[in-house]
Amino acid sequence: MLNLWMRASVLIALLAVLLMLGFLFAQSWPYWRAYGVGMLFSGEWYPYERLFGMLPAIIGSFWAALIALVIAVPSAIAAAVLSTELMPGAWRGLLRTGMELLAGIPSVVYGLIGLWVLLPFLQSTLNLLTGHNLLAAGLLLSLMILPTIMVMAQDALHEVQISQREAGLNLGMDWHTRLWRILLPQAWPGIRSGILLALGRALGETMAVMLVVGSMDRIPQPFYNLLVPAQTLTARIGREIGEASFGSMHFSALMACGLLLAMATISISLLANRKHV
Amino acid sequence: MHKTVAMLFAAIVFAAPTLSHAGITLHAAGSTTVLPVVSTAANIWHQQHPHVNITVSGGGSGVGIASMIQGTADIGMASREIDAQEAAKLNGKVDVFTIAKDAVAVVVSKAVYVGGVHQLSLQQIAAIYRGKIKNWREVGGPDAQIFVIDKEASRGTRHVFAEAVLGDAHARAPGAAVISGSNNEEQSLVAHSDSAIGMLSNAWLNDAVRGVAVGQGNAAVLPDIQHVRDGSYPISRSLHVMLAKKGASEARDFVAFLLSPAGQKIVKQSGYLPVR
Repeated sequence: MLNLWMRASVLIALLAVLLMLGFLFAQSWPYWRAYGVGMLFSGEWYPYERLFGMLPAIIGSFWAALIALVIAVPSAIAAAVLSTELMPGAWRGLLRTGMELLAGIPSVVYGLIGLWVLLPFLQSTLNLLTGHNLLAAGLLLSLMILPTIMVMAQDALHEVQISQREAGLNLGMDWHTRLWRILLPQAWPGIRSGILLALGRALGETMAVMLVVGSMDRIPQPFYNLLVPAQTLTARIGREIGEASFGSMHFSALMACGLLLAMATISISLLANRKHV
Repeated sequence: MHKTVAMLFAAIVFAAPTLSHAGITLHAAGSTTVLPVVSTAANIWHQQHPHVNITVSGGGSGVGIASMIQGTADIGMASREIDAQEAAKLNGKVDVFTIAKDAVAVVVSKAVYVGGVHQLSLQQIAAIYRGKIKNWREVGGPDAQIFVIDKEASRGTRHVFAEAVLGDAHARAPGAAVISGSNNEEQSLVAHSDSAIGMLSNAWLNDAVRGVAVGQGNAAVLPDIQHVRDGSYPISRSLHVMLAKKGASEARDFVAFLLSPAGQKIVKQSGYLPVR
């Protein structure tokens, strides 16, 4: 009975993924047929002029996720090492609970905090016209994905066998050597899963990003300028899906954005599930 | 344990139909300019008719009209006219009622207003949105780069503004620095900046968000109710609600309430010009 139940669940999960991909593909097909894959590299998105270039949002999504990772990965791993290896037990629990709480805060709350605190701060310290930009989105995302990476890294560090640690001690290794040669390499598969899971969330996050990114469908000039309002794939869908009538080319183009995101996230998950690099 | 679960399940199954008989829920969606009127009216209407619940959500006029096309809302709200494409899709399925009029104010941050910009001509506003004028100094204001706020294409305010200023409802605004959504979002952007220009219904003006007079020289007109009434303000418009012809009679009653003296009083209190 239990066996049957488990098989059915797996089947349903698989079916759900396939259905979703199929739906996105079917709905975005008119767009791909009319405009072709070349639109991925076009910078002009003006739905009322029937121009649906993907590039500004692709660049935006890429930068926002990258900034988030660059900040969150080292901090999360450092925090995990600190809490599992160096802190007394009571503190460790407290930190973990805090992280789990952080992970449970709805994204719109992060977005509002960003809007009220982060944007005015960026605007005044960097002397910008507005704080809406990719840096703000990346900073906010880094806070949102930090708990995922840290909790997974903590678990991975816990899994490192006592015998391994003792062997290190017996060999007279100092703390740094033990950390770099034993703890982190042993825990790496778990940490890596955490990073890839977090990357998936960073790419897919909509609400918080939409509130702070500026939603400007324009390629940053130059393309690495993170201090001007920009756009991400998710924010574009969030802003425009309501008015795009079902079945229109605009709707189809937004579904194409969705398909790109889904494919990116799925390839990330597949990477995360590979056992060895 | 199993018994409890079974009983709970039975309770839900049997209670569900009774619950749905207890009242009717209507959904209104669309323009955030029309929203304050409809949501205040919905509260009052619910007190008078407890079996009718009305949920109200924003999204913009484009969303309001799209939800009527798709049949996902009972009451659509729009702060602009329905365009030809949308009319074709609606295919005469809805009735449109004008419940109020207002002005689309050209708003600037307080610092800009205090710095000397009290009026702008339509040409100046257009040049700012096209990116030809970039500094407030060029229009008699402080020496500061202009922070140009555009709105989502689906927004009725954007539609009406762009039509009046740029000549086409969907014209590009290459001078824009940021895209905002609802009236609240726009208002907060302008309030938090000291060099912003934006577009907002006259009901959203306050100390930090100032409306400038539009026009040249002595002919410049302030965006207030008086000038909407006499038709002299150049960017004014009608606010509408829409009903499906085949929709619930309760929705029709509610719209009749909006047009009644009590409903029009809410329109006035919200800062708009009543139509009756």
